[in-house]
Amino acid sequence: MRPLAELATPVMMGILLGGLYATIALGLSLVFGVVNEINIAHGDLVILGSYFGYVASTALGIDPILSLIIGAPLFFALGFAIQKYLLNRAFRISMDATLIIAFGISIILENTYQLIWTPLSRGLTTSYSVESFDVGTIHVPLVYLLDLVVAIVVMFCLHQFLRRTYLGTAIRAAAQDWKVAQLMGINTNRVYALTFGIATALASISGVFLGLTFPFTPVSGMSFLIIALGVIVLGGLGSIAGTFVAGIAFGLAQTVGGYFFGVAAQMLVAYTMVLVVLAVIPKGIFGR
Amino acid sequence: MVARPRLQGRLAPLSAVVVILALLPVIGAPRLWLLYLFLFFIYLALANMWNLLAGYSGLISLCPAAFVGLAGYTMAILTWFGWPYYVGIILGSIAAALFAALISVPAFRLRGIYFAIGTLVVPEILRYVFIIWVPVGKPVYGGGAGYTVKGVSDVASAQTYWLALAVAVASVVLMRYILRSKFGSGLAAIRDNDVTAAYSGINVFKLKLYSFVVAAFISGLAGTVFYVYQGYIEPASAFSVQWLIVIMLATVIGGEGTEEGPLVGSVIVVFLYFLLARYAQISLIIQGVILVVIMLAAPQGIIGFIRKARRRRSLA
Repeated sequence: MRPLAELATPVMMGILLGGLYATIALGLSLVFGVVNEINIAHGDLVILGSYFGYVASTALGIDPILSLIIGAPLFFALGFAIQKYLLNRAFRISMDATLIIAFGISIILENTYQLIWTPLSRGLTTSYSVESFDVGTIHVPLVYLLDLVVAIVVMFCLHQFLRRTYLGTAIRAAAQDWKVAQLMGINTNRVYALTFGIATALASISGVFLGLTFPFTPVSGMSFLIIALGVIVLGGLGSIAGTFVAGIAFGLAQTVGGYFFGVAAQMLVAYTMVLVVLAVIPKGIFGR
Repeated sequence: MVARPRLQGRLAPLSAVVVILALLPVIGAPRLWLLYLFLFFIYLALANMWNLLAGYSGLISLCPAAFVGLAGYTMAILTWFGWPYYVGIILGSIAAALFAALISVPAFRLRGIYFAIGTLVVPEILRYVFIIWVPVGKPVYGGGAGYTVKGVSDVASAQTYWLALAVAVASVVLMRYILRSKFGSGLAAIRDNDVTAAYSGINVFKLKLYSFVVAAFISGLAGTVFYVYQGYIEPASAFSVQWLIVIMLATVIGGEGTEEGPLVGSVIVVFLYFLLARYAQISLIIQGVILVVIMLAAPQGIIGFIRKARRRRSLA
């Protein structure tokens, strides 16, 4: 076993990486908490965000992060449409129906990316994507730091939005009890579509930062979906704070696990941690 | 007590079809036909088992790939230790069943959608395990721990065809039997409301466990026979989500929670493969569109749609 003093690097990287995982999982967590559906296509929507950043930076020469100014509203509209025209209908059929339809959307998206962008691995390269700085003896890539900063900013904004705005209150009401919310004059179908739109806009943000951090392929969506699912069940489905804490925990398990058992085993350690925690507390750390 | 449909009756046409299918390789049917039929048998067995779990036991299990891959790997590794492949088929399927029993303890604590997520993670974990763990010899295929299945190069394609047919028939007969037994009624009660089922004296955990283990065993059989045919196995495809896509598609198109659903669905899925074989990517996009459209237009699948139409006509 290697000396514990070197542990500082994996711990630092794990926390920063956890920020990215939390951002990816946030949209999924929001949709689950409010609409009570598991959006299997979330990972693919995140990857769509990465490809959006890719197209913006290669074809149009726009910085991928700046491109989100146009990207996030576009993604919002896309998510709104998916929920309004597909999932809201499925909702009335059964829980399985929404799951299976989202699965269908995921298959469609993945293979459309393969057609358009080929199965090659892509990455977002910018002037700052290779930069890094030193904290004491630890070497930190700049994008990893951005991942955590973005996670905190996005979480804070979402929290404030849900607490302080009229729409946010409506969303929380629909999440608590949709029947009563409807009796209070809230159009729950509209609230669901708006929520899904917000979640998809969050997916575009996380997608761009994912593209800056890791290379991605058309089928990466599934692996990041599984990571995000691990994160939200770990944190307790539908809890924002839980998602953040679990994201960091997942990132830590991955990097620290990789440090002790080798890079090949790092995801294995993280998933095993998820299963063990679930077996002990089936509703997650912050579960209701 | 509700009268259960009798087990006899309508078995004659089924056996006739089976005999004809079994004779196909002997009378020299084109190889391509046999290949598509082989796939049909494998998918039918897997879809039947998925239907048993999702349609009849209320367990939306997203881990059929875990059973297929684990059984396939067990078989492949056993052949490296000098065991014949047919022993590998049995032991591999038993390994899948034991694995199902093992994960059922934590998994059944999760209900409904939580269970679905929990099981989706399982094949992912196994994939990493088999990428890292090299149980025997030097792996041959694909960088990771891919293995050739030894001693199957001289197995005639007709033999794997018959094996697959046998597994498919076994799964159909088993479903017939289960759905007409007390076990099936108990499962339906759990699916509709597990708390009420528990109050009426049904041992919920035991029944779920039985159906999970049975499904794992039959899925394991189908998986091992598939890998005997393919001749090699590697982690990325063995534990791929692709298995789940095909099985779910077959069951949903045909009709989840109907006995004939997986049969009709598997025919359509294999037929789609045949039609769209040349357009790999577009084929998958079309499959995704079909999945969405069917779910919105006819959530009970084709069989459910026919039943509804029939009922309406009889009322008119």
